[in-house]
Amino acid sequence: MKTMKIVKPALSIFTMALFFTACSGDSPEIDTEYPAIDSTAVNAFPIQCSEIKRGEKITFRTKFTDNAELGSYSLDIHHNFDHHTHSTEVNDCLADPIKKPINPMLYINSVTIPAGQKSYEAVQEISIPQDIDPGDYHFLIRLTDKEGWQTIKGLSIKIL
Amino acid sequence: MYKTKLNRLPMICLLLFCFITISKMSAQSVRVSGKVLSSDKTSLEGLTVIIEPGNLIAITDKKGDFYFTNIPKQVKILKINHSGYFPYEMKLSLKKSAVLLPDIFLQPEIKELKEVVITDHFGFRRKKEESLTIETVNSSFIQRNLGGSLMQSLQRIPGVKTISIGSGGSKPLIRGLSFNQVIVVENGIKHEGQQWGADHGLEIDQYAVNRVEIIKGPSSFMYGSDAIGGAVNIKPVPLPSKNTLGGSIDFTGKSNNEQFGGSLNLFGRNEKWFFDTRMTIMDYGDYRVPTDTVHVYNFAVPLYKNQLRNTAGREMDVHASTGYVSEKFKTVFYASNVYSKSGFFANAHGLEPRNVDTELHDKSSRDILMPFQEVTHTKISNTTVFQIGNHQLETQLGFQKNFRREWSHYVNHGFMPPIYPDTMSAPKDLERQYDKEVFSVAVKDEFSLHKHQFTVGINAEQQQNDINGWSFLIPAFTQFNAGLFAYDKMQLNELWLLHGAVRFDYGKIEMEQYNDWFASEITENGQTTSQFLKRSDDLTRTFKSFNWSAGVNYTPGKLSLKANLGTSFRMPIAKELASNGVNYHYFRFEKGNANLAAERSYQLDLGMEWQANKWSFQLSPFFNYFPNYIYLNPTSQHDIYYGAGNQVFEYEQSKVMRYGGELQTRYQFLQNLSVEILAEYLYAEQLSGSKKGYTLPFSPPASVLFGINYSPQIKNLKDTYFSLDYRYTAAQNQIVPPEKKTASSNIFNLALGTKLKTGQQDFIISLQVQNLLNTKYLNHTSFYRLIELPEASRNIILSVKVPFLISKSN
Repeated sequence: MKTMKIVKPALSIFTMALFFTACSGDSPEIDTEYPAIDSTAVNAFPIQCSEIKRGEKITFRTKFTDNAELGSYSLDIHHNFDHHTHSTEVNDCLADPIKKPINPMLYINSVTIPAGQKSYEAVQEISIPQDIDPGDYHFLIRLTDKEGWQTIKGLSIKIL
Repeated sequence: MYKTKLNRLPMICLLLFCFITISKMSAQSVRVSGKVLSSDKTSLEGLTVIIEPGNLIAITDKKGDFYFTNIPKQVKILKINHSGYFPYEMKLSLKKSAVLLPDIFLQPEIKELKEVVITDHFGFRRKKEESLTIETVNSSFIQRNLGGSLMQSLQRIPGVKTISIGSGGSKPLIRGLSFNQVIVVENGIKHEGQQWGADHGLEIDQYAVNRVEIIKGPSSFMYGSDAIGGAVNIKPVPLPSKNTLGGSIDFTGKSNNEQFGGSLNLFGRNEKWFFDTRMTIMDYGDYRVPTDTVHVYNFAVPLYKNQLRNTAGREMDVHASTGYVSEKFKTVFYASNVYSKSGFFANAHGLEPRNVDTELHDKSSRDILMPFQEVTHTKISNTTVFQIGNHQLETQLGFQKNFRREWSHYVNHGFMPPIYPDTMSAPKDLERQYDKEVFSVAVKDEFSLHKHQFTVGINAEQQQNDINGWSFLIPAFTQFNAGLFAYDKMQLNELWLLHGAVRFDYGKIEMEQYNDWFASEITENGQTTSQFLKRSDDLTRTFKSFNWSAGVNYTPGKLSLKANLGTSFRMPIAKELASNGVNYHYFRFEKGNANLAAERSYQLDLGMEWQANKWSFQLSPFFNYFPNYIYLNPTSQHDIYYGAGNQVFEYEQSKVMRYGGELQTRYQFLQNLSVEILAEYLYAEQLSGSKKGYTLPFSPPASVLFGINYSPQIKNLKDTYFSLDYRYTAAQNQIVPPEKKTASSNIFNLALGTKLKTGQQDFIISLQVQNLLNTKYLNHTSFYRLIELPEASRNIILSVKVPFLISKSN
């Protein structure tokens, strides 16, 4: 009877140990890193609080990196007249008063990054139409890597 | 000789003193044995029998038998104090060396009849008679561990977790599987809500739950499609006893989200007719987390007073059942309506992380502003049982309606007009609406033939699903399912029990075409045209499946072993076949795959249990393989039309291997002090497809819970307990996009409670402090994990139950 009392807790502790060491086995190498959007370069555009003029052509320029392989990126320019959204950046820009949209600009585009790239300089020309509403806009960059990890950067810009 | 050492070394003294006591006892020892039965002569398992003085204890086995060996002759009293039964006491006079006591009959307490009918012993018996891994809990377990919703209250059970949204909604996660891979059965009928959505809670009133059985493994052979990962079976409330009229009142208050609520139950029965009614009301404010800033993806969101903006909610449920009971015939009608309205965390809903009017939102912590969800679930059913000779025939008819609306400000994306047109029939703020109606019918016959206990049955279900709202994710559809099954339980002898089951299923799903209500500009070959895009096609798919299960139980005394091998299946759902829209909670574009095959699973379950006088030990490992697991794969693409540049997630199928298990052990140190260890582990890996080598989403990390329970005997109080749980959850580093690695956590929960008797009135009081140390930690399986939202801060929960008896006659 007394030996049983020792055997049973010992047995349970042993099984528990087995239980928890079982999980520390080697697992296959998988990518768990997010890609990165780097707008620190001197010629990166737009950046937080950039101002753009209607009727002009702007050049989007940013550097993307990933530990394994980049996937694609999408750009999305939409109005923020209702202040519905904010940026991912630390500093805020001065916003115009809230107003109703009449003919706001909407730009959505996506680009597949050539296969096998760990680093990629994205360059894209965007025409800003003359007849759109001026005001606060939001410039959203979404970057994925090949495995589907996604990083988002939201910039506040102004169209004059 | 001992004495000299005693003076010098107190430690050794103690040990040796024990030794002396033991040797003394064995010198003039007696063996006492007996049997405990309830008044209806069923044996009571798992009861504690106490002999005094000396506080010697024994626990009854499955036949209600207990025995004491080596007890001193001078003991005087045998006591049994078990929740739900009148306390029992017997004077002992031990003259012989072996005493066999006459059978002991315990009388149930009438007032609590409803909680009592099933107590621990039932769970023990079920476990030994089923070859699958089954856990059974009753309403007192729920009261002790009361969480914001039924599934949160059951989380203490190893292998059972939840995917929670806010403080009032959650869905079951059994061994890492959830959504349509786990079915919930209430009163014998499969609960059909919108279980495919991570943000959709389970529409069940936890106060109305008396006993829950959780099957941790595939159980398609019993329940058909969807039971591939497990089943949560909420059993009907036991019938009131004859000629009684009574009820109970429950009050609950929670500090974290300033919740108050309660439930009123009233039941009665004459000889053969009975009724049972319940009404539950709950109201709660925004819940609090131990942080002042949340990072929604990369967007920092400051929180006011640690409150999670707009997570308040309310719930109102009504239930009624009535029926007729006689020896050979029983019919019960159930009707219930569960309504809830709760807010979504305002900063994390929409096309992108949003800025909100903080002044408006932070004005009150109790208001529910947009975005919010509103769900009404109505159920009407009848269960009728006939006893014809050797046969027990059961018929079930059911109707359910799940009406779900998600309200949110109109946000145009893609080519949707910037201002919502007045001409639209759907209200401006109605983001989505799902309206499901289900008719179900089932017939089952149970009969025994020699050593065989057969169950054969047939069931069918017809669903109609409509949609509405300004956004689109899944199309409207109709669905028909039918199944035919046979199950044989064969008692070879006292030790061996065999199980075998076969089931054939047929399913058909018909999806309706859906076109956008707005025109999109499409550029093809340099020509730009304006088109109302088709988002989903008319599509009909049919599925057939044959499944089987075989198991064995071997129970030689204290040890019991079991094994089960079986297949299970699941029909792809409308979301997997035809979704084509933005999931506003996760800022992603989800795309269905019309060619998906039915998901199939093979699982081996093993079980080992050891129950001794003071010990119990249970280990339940499993191995599971899916040749074609349906998986929502994050791609590297973005959708630039309706998806507004969001990342595309597409349904795919891959081979998946999963294994793991749970361990439960308990030791009764003293009559009133016990400790337990509950542990769980799960590993999942995709063996093929685009995410080969990755795990599955929402894989719960390994965890172990150490619990200590002290239940002292205090005058005028009954069933008093103090318990402290410490849960260590390991880090989860096995992730798949878009998940994040979750660090380990250490959480303490404190619980205490008692039953107070003043005059003829009982008060059952329980108090819980969840997250005692106010630890900031993340839960890997929380709906809000992706936005780095910590779990709720310290929460004090007080609940009081007052059972009452209005009249009782014999």
